Amino acid sequence: MTEGSLPTSPVRLLAGERGGWSRRGLVLYFALAAGAVLLMLLPALASDAALGAVDRAMIAAVFALAFNLLAGQAGMLSFGHAAYFAVGAFATVHAMIAIEHSRLWLPTPLVPLAGGVGGFLFAGVAGFFATKRSGVYFAMVTLAIAELLHTLAPNLEGLFGGEAGLSSFRQPFMGVSFGKEMQVYYLTVGWTAASVVLLWAYTHSLFGRLTLACRETEKRLPSLGFNVHHTKILIFAISGLFSGLAGGLLAFSTESANYELFQSSVSAMVVLQTFIGGTGLFLGPALGAFFLTLFGRVASDLTRSWLLYQGLLFIVVMVLAPHGVGRWMVDEAEALAGGGRAALRLACILAAVLVAATGVVMLAELSHTLLSRDYEAIVTRTASYPPIPLFGRSWDPASPLTWLAPLALFATAALLAIIGRRFGQARA
Amino acid sequence: MEFLLISAINGLIYGLLLFMVASGLTLVFGMMGVVNFAHASFYMLGAYFAYALARAIGFVGALILAPLLVGLIGILIERYLLRPMHRFGGAHELLMTFGLAFMFQELMKMLFGDYTVPYKQPAYLRFPAFTVFGTEYPFYRLFVGLTAIVLFAVLFAILRGTRIGLVVRAAVQRPTMTAALGHNIDTLFMGTFGLGAWMAGVAGAVGGAFLTTSPNMALELGVIVFVVVVVGGLGSLAGALVASILIGFMTSFAVGLTISLADIAGLVGARDVAMELGSIASTPLSTFAGAIPVLLMLLVLMLRPAGLFGEKL
Repeated sequence: MTEGSLPTSPVRLLAGERGGWSRRGLVLYFALAAGAVLLMLLPALASDAALGAVDRAMIAAVFALAFNLLAGQAGMLSFGHAAYFAVGAFATVHAMIAIEHSRLWLPTPLVPLAGGVGGFLFAGVAGFFATKRSGVYFAMVTLAIAELLHTLAPNLEGLFGGEAGLSSFRQPFMGVSFGKEMQVYYLTVGWTAASVVLLWAYTHSLFGRLTLACRETEKRLPSLGFNVHHTKILIFAISGLFSGLAGGLLAFSTESANYELFQSSVSAMVVLQTFIGGTGLFLGPALGAFFLTLFGRVASDLTRSWLLYQGLLFIVVMVLAPHGVGRWMVDEAEALAGGGRAALRLACILAAVLVAATGVVMLAELSHTLLSRDYEAIVTRTASYPPIPLFGRSWDPASPLTWLAPLALFATAALLAIIGRRFGQARA
Repeated sequence: MEFLLISAINGLIYGLLLFMVASGLTLVFGMMGVVNFAHASFYMLGAYFAYALARAIGFVGALILAPLLVGLIGILIERYLLRPMHRFGGAHELLMTFGLAFMFQELMKMLFGDYTVPYKQPAYLRFPAFTVFGTEYPFYRLFVGLTAIVLFAVLFAILRGTRIGLVVRAAVQRPTMTAALGHNIDTLFMGTFGLGAWMAGVAGAVGGAFLTTSPNMALELGVIVFVVVVVGGLGSLAGALVASILIGFMTSFAVGLTISLADIAGLVGARDVAMELGSIASTPLSTFAGAIPVLLMLLVLMLRPAGLFGEKL
């Protein structure tokens, strides 16, 4: 590919701009199509609760793509992206209230767009200030803006409804009531698909190239005739637009918005999910956010430590696969084409990860139960340490075997990793 | 008068506590160019470790052992988690510390529960130090302030009086040049990181008993500490000291502000107009005490990012 020419195939973009029309491209197309069909057919197969979980996962995916536009593609690390997500949510609820009182006419399916507009406008203002700084200073300005809103929002009743938040109702439109989970779900699917296509096209466009240039060679841009500050404001605002749209989808789905959307854990979540997924691939952040949110829903029934596991996963990914799981998967897939040794190596690594994860979960869940208030109460009442149920059997906390088991798992994982390493590196 | 004096002492002591945490953060930034988002987590770990240890080995033992453990964790984090990130650039280091802060918060939630733990100073440290205007001033608060002063004196003596201190100061100013002169910059980074973590741990161990010990404490203090280092100038120790005391006073006096925006508007006869804004106008300004430092940080970042004492950017 010569300097300045655009990548011609979307698959190239998808696969990190360096693949061709290969078997991998076809596999990716097939996987995408299968995913889309599955999302479309899901209402016929799954319960309302499951639909709700997938709905949230898609919203997280849009948010992560919007965040990655700024953090991954433009190289501006924002630690306060909850602000634009929440502003979008509140803008949407305000639009819903206005429609309810007939002060505004807007077709119901377009209501989440109000969030996009809100996010765009607010991010435009915030971006004007934030993009004057770069690096660490940029990160801290974004953090401060979000923190400021989080402090002020509970006291601004007109705008954010105080501590209780705002709520409204979805209005029926053209015979669709929007009262059923399925109807909301399909609307989210539609907006998610639109966002993915639009952001994909954005990456494809000349302005998308300019976004990458902001990250790579910011100093050269003025000599090419671009105003760096204006460009960055626009990138920031577009990221705010899609973040606001994601917030709008959430508000549309829950029919409410609360000042807690501004809290730092929302900002932290999108950072973690995006970088676990990997910023180098277009769909990396979206898939990361989608599956982590979905797993989070499933896991929250089983454990209260899901967020801890997600934090641990982030750290492990940063150390072992610094470019994210997406990039790692592409690299491994390429290595697999090379032959049997690569397959053996991959099998060893996957087994090591699985065994180590089991050890971590075991250690975490045992300590969690042991230190919980309920358990402490039992100990003081009965003066004995009752066994803790986990993985389908009960573990005696006084027995050394209980604590040797996770250690044995870690040792096994280390052994598997060493064996795996013997089969060579992924990128030979 | 009573309010002024008590607020001034409280503000000074809170400022000194802030400095114990902020000094490590600003030293590490000067040296490694990394803003450690997990630094306030060391403060939290110090408090939780001391809380857990105090039950086993007593309060004084916990005050000594807990910060040492935190320092050790700091060293391990620098060596095995931050140093490998270095070759991927500043953004990765920033992300790693951000992830660590998140993980530590969740870890404390899992181990000790998502609520405030009853970590308090023992009864033998609970006596009034002196009486002003009929109010008894607790000794323990003075103890917190004294700990900070002793720590600062030791830090100052090491930095100004010893050869290692000289090298550390050189490394803060010009890390690459110091390395070129044959000093082992990696070990120096690790040591400084550990020292910063240890000081934050001390602050947590003594401060957790006097403020609150909960999984949110790192976030709450973390924001204030960021304000301190930004206002003081990233990398400047003297700036951190001045800014700590300044923010300490501001926080302490803001709590006593009982007038509201509506009262201020009332002075010019616009009370009713102000009241229409909703509760933001009628609530006392003290409610926004948390917003003032953040606003200050935004202003400094926008107008003078080098802070009070920092080098020009």
